[in-house]
Amino acid sequence: MNMKLKKTNIILSCFVLLVLLVPLNNISAMEIKDQLNRKIHLPKQIKKIVSLAPSITEIIYALGVEDLLVGVTQYSDYPAAASSLPKVGSYVHLDLERIIALKPDLCIATRDGNPLTTIERLEIMKIPVYAVDPRNLETIIQTILELGRLLKAEKKADFLAANMRSRILKIKNIISCTQHRTRLFFQIGISPIVSAGSPTFINELIELAGGENLARGPAAYPRFSKEKVISLAPEVIIITSMARSTVFEKVKAEWNRWPDLPAVKQQRIYLEDSNLFDRPTPRLVDGLELLAKLLHPELFENIK
Amino acid sequence: MKKAKLNLPKRILVVNLILLIILAGISFLGLACGSTGIDFLALIKIIFKSEINESMLPAIIWQIRLPRVLLAALVGATLSLGGLVFQAILRNPLAEPYILGISGGAAIGAIIGILLGLSRFPGVSLFAFAGSMATLLLILVMASDKTILKKDSLLLSGVMVNAFCSAVIMFLISMTQDSRLHNIIFWLMGDLSVADLGQTFSLAMVLIPCFIIIFYYSNVMNLLLMGQEQARAMGVNIKLVIFILLVITSLMVSSTVSYCGLLGFVGLVMPHLLRIILGPDHRVLVPACILGGGAFMVFCDLLARTLPEQGEMPAGVITALIGAPLFIYLLKRSSR
Repeated sequence: MNMKLKKTNIILSCFVLLVLLVPLNNISAMEIKDQLNRKIHLPKQIKKIVSLAPSITEIIYALGVEDLLVGVTQYSDYPAAASSLPKVGSYVHLDLERIIALKPDLCIATRDGNPLTTIERLEIMKIPVYAVDPRNLETIIQTILELGRLLKAEKKADFLAANMRSRILKIKNIISCTQHRTRLFFQIGISPIVSAGSPTFINELIELAGGENLARGPAAYPRFSKEKVISLAPEVIIITSMARSTVFEKVKAEWNRWPDLPAVKQQRIYLEDSNLFDRPTPRLVDGLELLAKLLHPELFENIK
Repeated sequence: MKKAKLNLPKRILVVNLILLIILAGISFLGLACGSTGIDFLALIKIIFKSEINESMLPAIIWQIRLPRVLLAALVGATLSLGGLVFQAILRNPLAEPYILGISGGAAIGAIIGILLGLSRFPGVSLFAFAGSMATLLLILVMASDKTILKKDSLLLSGVMVNAFCSAVIMFLISMTQDSRLHNIIFWLMGDLSVADLGQTFSLAMVLIPCFIIIFYYSNVMNLLLMGQEQARAMGVNIKLVIFILLVITSLMVSSTVSYCGLLGFVGLVMPHLLRIILGPDHRVLVPACILGGGAFMVFCDLLARTLPEQGEMPAGVITALIGAPLFIYLLKRSSR
């Protein structure tokens, strides 16, 4: 009897010791929640990060902590230096093996695009993944601030956020001078013709820049027939395609076959860099300013 | 020809031992090669000493490459066995789950499951099973009509069912507009990268009993090939056997489709190749198809992972690229 008691005592005290020790061990690590409200354990020091989307790569560069980056996804092309970093597959089809071989302390993922199964497997393999989920300009600014805190670049993040906010406010002020909402067809796909609906960054930018998004509606990327576009009578057509300018000339020529189209009459068909409009990064504000100037050139004549 | 003189158990043993060695060799290659490089020596070290060094290689090998190799082997085994069973039951050498549209039906079910936001297991798998059973029923109804029993018409109706399935898949894809689209398309072309050890294990739990049941009926398949009348004369309950085999095969094929999408031609190439080498006895062919099909798929997946400089290719592209020309060659050779 006595022996048994002793044994249980020893086992118990071992347990107590263990319970006491576990939190001590974990002090070095930090538990935080990401934007999807998932708990993640961060190591004490983050020395190596893998970015799982081009937009995240851009934010990391904007925060000035690119020294931490050891891997990026395909099409991480901005700034140009990012293209020379090791690639870990495309953001919709990540190459687990390459990510793990880089031994990152942290991966930064985006909900829009990165497959959840891959993220879960990374976590099973003890690689923490911080997921962001920017939905509009304000949450992009929040994301930049949060990543700034996470990567110890608070000052730069605060600066970026203040800069973005003041530039957005400036555009809002300028646009408030007019009641006119320019009818815009924002063409992101050439064949088939695809535009951007309400649940996109593009829609938010168009509305802020004083435009009327002719493709607004519940579908994020609705398809259009030529007939439908012509019947909508856009005043401005902006084509943002990854295709080169020769293709743009062809598409422009296609639209020019309808001389009664307001956009053709006024010669307001433009080709712009798609990355300025669909990547949740600080550059989205560049896109906003560009858009405002294209939609309301008259308001910007006196400024500069 | 020497092998034919051996008695049956010995023959099964010898054939499978050879195929097992081939499968093991290709699996070894599969474990050694990956997008981060090829290192045979390190693999041998890790397998035999299990030493823990700073490198991430052990984790990469055990947690990324191993599940993939196992999944590929399972899927290859299932599809080539599925082809063998269909060829025996329908007495048509061109029958195969992919060509007959069984895989396509499973894919339709699986896509509907994915679009409804169900989990891969059991939700998507059940939808895939329902889809494959529906197409199977359709084909059987067409095939049971006496006029259509001829080889070519059966094949034609299968091709039509497959074409219809492709159209429905295209329809569903064109209705999808969100970020799942890319994943669905990649999955449709046959994608083995989703595997983790747990999922592969649960898939094996479904598939291995199916393999055993089919092996149990391998002699009956021999009788079926001689014709249903003869089989009935030998005391086989044909309807029951055919029913069991078809349901089991659909279950196997649909569960692999719900994991890895459409992998074509595996069910044609392996059974034919093995039949040419080993002869028509299903008691030998069933286990040979399991091992040989597994080896073929592991090899195709290996190419899919390592050939492209960046990213990877869907494995279904490789199986079709190797499978279709090989099949044409076999067809020409056997008709001569």
